[in-house]
Amino acid sequence: MKALPPAWHGLRREWRLPELRTLAAALVLAVAALGAVASLGARVEQALLARAAEMLGGNLGVSTDYRNLPADFSAEAARLGLQQNRSANFPSMAFHGEASQLLDVLATDPAWPLRGHAQLAAGNGRVYDGHGPARGEVYLDQRALDALHLRIGDTLQFGGMPLRVAARLVQMPDGGELFALAPRAVVNLADAEAAGLLGAGSRASHRLLLAGAPAQIAAYARWAKAHLPGGARLITPTDVQQRLRFAFNRASTLLRLIALLSALLSGIAIALAARRYALRKIDEVALLRALGAPRRQVLGLLATRLGSIALAALAVGVLLALVLAALAWHLAQALLPQPAPPLSIAPALGAALAGLAVLLGFALPPLTRLASVPPQAVFRRSLGALRWRDRLLYLLPLPVALGLILAQGGGLKLSLGLGLSLIGVGAAAALISAALLALARHTAAHAHPALRIGLASLARRRGLSLLQSVALSLGLSALLLLAVVTPALLSQWQRELPPDTPNWFALNVQGAQRASFARQVAQAGGTELNMLPLVVGNLSTINGVPIAQQHFADAATRRWAEQTLRLSWSTQPPPGNSVVAGHWFSAQPRMAEVSVDRGWARRFGIKLGDTLGFQVGEQNLDARVTSLREVRWDSFRVNFFLLLDPAHGHSLAHNWLASFHLPPGQATRLQATSRALPNVSLIDVDSLLARLRGIVVQVGTALRWVLGFSLLAGALVLVAALTASARERRHEAALLRTLGADRRQLLLASIAEFAMLGAIAAFTGALGALATGQWLALNMLDLPHFIVPLRPLLLAMLVTVSVVTLLGLAGTHKLLSSSPLRILRQE
Amino acid sequence: MLEARDVSKRVRSPGGDELEILDAVDLCVPRGASAAIVGASGSGKTTLLGLLAGLDQPSAGRIVLDGHVLTDLDEERRARLRRRLVGFVFQSFQLLPALSALENVLLPLELEGAGNAVARAREALTAVGLARRLRHYPAQLSGGEQQRVAIARAFVHQPRVLFADEPTGNLDRRTGAGVIDLLFELNRAHGTTLVLVTHDNNLAARCDALLELLDGRIRAVQA
Ligand SMILES: Nc1ncnc2c1ncn2[C@@H]1O[C@H](COP(=O)(O)OP(=O)(O)OP(=O)(O)O)[C@@H](O)[C@H]1O
Ligand SMILES: [Mg+2]
Repeated sequence: MKALPPAWHGLRREWRLPELRTLAAALVLAVAALGAVASLGARVEQALLARAAEMLGGNLGVSTDYRNLPADFSAEAARLGLQQNRSANFPSMAFHGEASQLLDVLATDPAWPLRGHAQLAAGNGRVYDGHGPARGEVYLDQRALDALHLRIGDTLQFGGMPLRVAARLVQMPDGGELFALAPRAVVNLADAEAAGLLGAGSRASHRLLLAGAPAQIAAYARWAKAHLPGGARLITPTDVQQRLRFAFNRASTLLRLIALLSALLSGIAIALAARRYALRKIDEVALLRALGAPRRQVLGLLATRLGSIALAALAVGVLLALVLAALAWHLAQALLPQPAPPLSIAPALGAALAGLAVLLGFALPPLTRLASVPPQAVFRRSLGALRWRDRLLYLLPLPVALGLILAQGGGLKLSLGLGLSLIGVGAAAALISAALLALARHTAAHAHPALRIGLASLARRRGLSLLQSVALSLGLSALLLLAVVTPALLSQWQRELPPDTPNWFALNVQGAQRASFARQVAQAGGTELNMLPLVVGNLSTINGVPIAQQHFADAATRRWAEQTLRLSWSTQPPPGNSVVAGHWFSAQPRMAEVSVDRGWARRFGIKLGDTLGFQVGEQNLDARVTSLREVRWDSFRVNFFLLLDPAHGHSLAHNWLASFHLPPGQATRLQATSRALPNVSLIDVDSLLARLRGIVVQVGTALRWVLGFSLLAGALVLVAALTASARERRHEAALLRTLGADRRQLLLASIAEFAMLGAIAAFTGALGALATGQWLALNMLDLPHFIVPLRPLLLAMLVTVSVVTLLGLAGTHKLLSSSPLRILRQE
Repeated sequence: MLEARDVSKRVRSPGGDELEILDAVDLCVPRGASAAIVGASGSGKTTLLGLLAGLDQPSAGRIVLDGHVLTDLDEERRARLRRRLVGFVFQSFQLLPALSALENVLLPLELEGAGNAVARAREALTAVGLARRLRHYPAQLSGGEQQRVAIARAFVHQPRVLFADEPTGNLDRRTGAGVIDLLFELNRAHGTTLVLVTHDNNLAARCDALLELLDGRIRAVQA
């Protein structure tokens, strides 16, 4: 406690030291960048979950096949105060007069849907949000109405009982299932039970949907997971909406990366500033020690001073992070569902912790050496011998950086990759600089005298020069990485979702209808029409062994195997598909060939040359796996796990799947089409697309904000690196001046010095950005065709050299007009 | 010839009020002569020496060094003059810590672009008795050794005028006497004008002229 009064006394004076201001600014930046991204990311995540919940119809679902859930599932939900909705899903026939139709039936209680909207149309065409039908009522979609020749108010026969058509089903939460194959009907659950459709032997899958506060939902999920009977599974909103997730994951990886690099840049600036602070304080500390202050007291004094500055900086950083997150959220509001999830300060506080780690990791090494300054340093200014313990301490930033990357949710691969590449850049910079400095030292003898002085002084301050060039290289590498990778990623996304991306799908187009369908779409103003053949069947055997006898790793895989399969064929690999193993189909293969998505193949352990048996209606087809494809599932195209060779595909019963673009709000123009081709079902995915675009726009905005942080952090590194030697340089220049160095000589000397420093930094920095950027694009951001653009990189190198040189010159220029004696007295 | 007329130096003290360090100083040192400036601590000796060497500008007055009116020149021109004409030994040595003894001494030669620099620098260091300390850095040298490096640096390029601020302040009697002999040897052999600040009566007595500063004014002149 004794250390306190002098500590506070000195605080105001300390604050005037430029290196402490750099340190504080760097800390603020690190915390603000990490915090803003984390809290923004958390909110976007929540918003996406809310969206997905709307599509699922609840926050959580439990589903079982063929049998009802145990009653305690419902009891537990009631205990936790969750809303509940029971439903069952099954195919069933319906009759009206002479007409009959197989319907995809949802039998539900009136609570449906708990989240999202069920859009219904009344007889007069008015569209409204409704709930589950009352007993004796049924909702039918347009296809069902058409197939059964029904109108709203008519009565149909279902499971032996008459049901009145109460409304037309426009849209319903459907778990994100884009392609429902049969016409749909919604009936009351009690009616279905009364009709005996849910009894033993029925093919119904039962579902309990739940809605409530996140904490209760999480608690229920934990409970349910432990009590799930065989054949039952949990459905979470995260399972829904794969495409949104793909896009979001990539965006959040990049966002976190930027925040992280800003934090690391800040760390470098902090390390440089702390080192400079330590050097400045040597005399003071040595004197205190000589006057008899024990080490502990000196340490306490330093810790109090720095600690109070750090605390203030952390607080400002957290505040800034919250303000920025709130602001960014406000700007992106229109794109996201209301009400907005609450802004939580937990991520910002986490960022403060991370900031503290950065501070400790990067500032501790130089400062602990300061604490161990021996009293005899009063006579000879030095930090004392570098002991092994101190040397090891200098490695501290490494685990801190790795920890940061891991904590940012980057995963081990990203952490290791990024960490290794940063270490690589640092090591390369150190090696190259050391070599160039040695070279400079030798060639200096033959250089122009003024250049020689510059090069020589760079070479003579070897340790400091190395530090400067490593810091500059790392900073530059991080900045270039961001500057080069970010725009490429954004533009790639925008290319993926051009304005004429198909926003309508048509199912069940028969072969004979293709020409007239194309005509109809063109008349309605549709463009970009694309038709793909669609075969619906089942996987029956793998290498001759029936699915029922196969051993699968888990229940999920078995479910995948038993699911209805959609197959297509194509003469060329479709856009967004690339063959990664084997070869594309031969022209007229004797045996059927199939090309399999790599992920799908991995799930079933299928290799090239395996044989898959398919059952399509009454037909059976054995096909050999001749290629594996990498499929970009987040591109907004229709993709297939399995593609057949065209010759054999053609022989199977198939219809056509069409996609086309129609300007938004023009849906009514398709009415003629649905009247002319009643069997074709048209699906509007505009809202889904709009959501995807919204994410891209929002992420783009967020990226720019966060990129600003890293630019600032980069500038801080530059300033910190250049001012690291400012004191020495000022003294040196003043002395040279007393010895009669003229303006030209001083300027040339500093040009030689800084141009060299800038060149080393530019070279290794660019190299690092090139390598890391390529690696990131391929492995983390899924941009297979990304090539680091060379021209901006070269430009950036040039800019670096010029900026470093100019900044160095600016520092020298100030000295030229003042008298050298004054400068020497100031030291 | 070195001449000062009515030279004053005022600075703004940290308190904010003006502080008169030198007040209307007049002096004249003929070419090839030697002069000693003595006076109590804080009387303004270092300040005067700096002004005479053109390291700073007076607030008023006129200084002429070897025919050049220093007070009419800007810092840039004064720097070029210093390079050719002036050697300066600082009271606090002012060696560059990053440079070895030899490199420190090399600096004036490098600035001039002089030939045979290394040999000359080595010679100068040998002359001050540091032949075996060429590669040492200032932090590895004692106070007196640093002072001798500073002296070698001041005369290595054979300046017309050599200013030295207490050149023997840190030296024992014998080494100090050796350094003084060296300075007067330069004075005799090359006609180097010497201007020394000293508290050492022996040294002061060997000079052609003695100027005593008291509170910023020349109190007595002995020729
Ligand atoms: N830049 C300045 N600002 C304020 N005061 C100054 C400045 N330069 C010199 N002084 C003051 O002027 C006075 C003379 O200083 P100077 O260094 O010339 O003394 P000195 O005669 O060389 O003393 P010493 O024998 O102790 O070296 C001192 O009192 C000093 O505090
Ligand atoms: Mg003095």
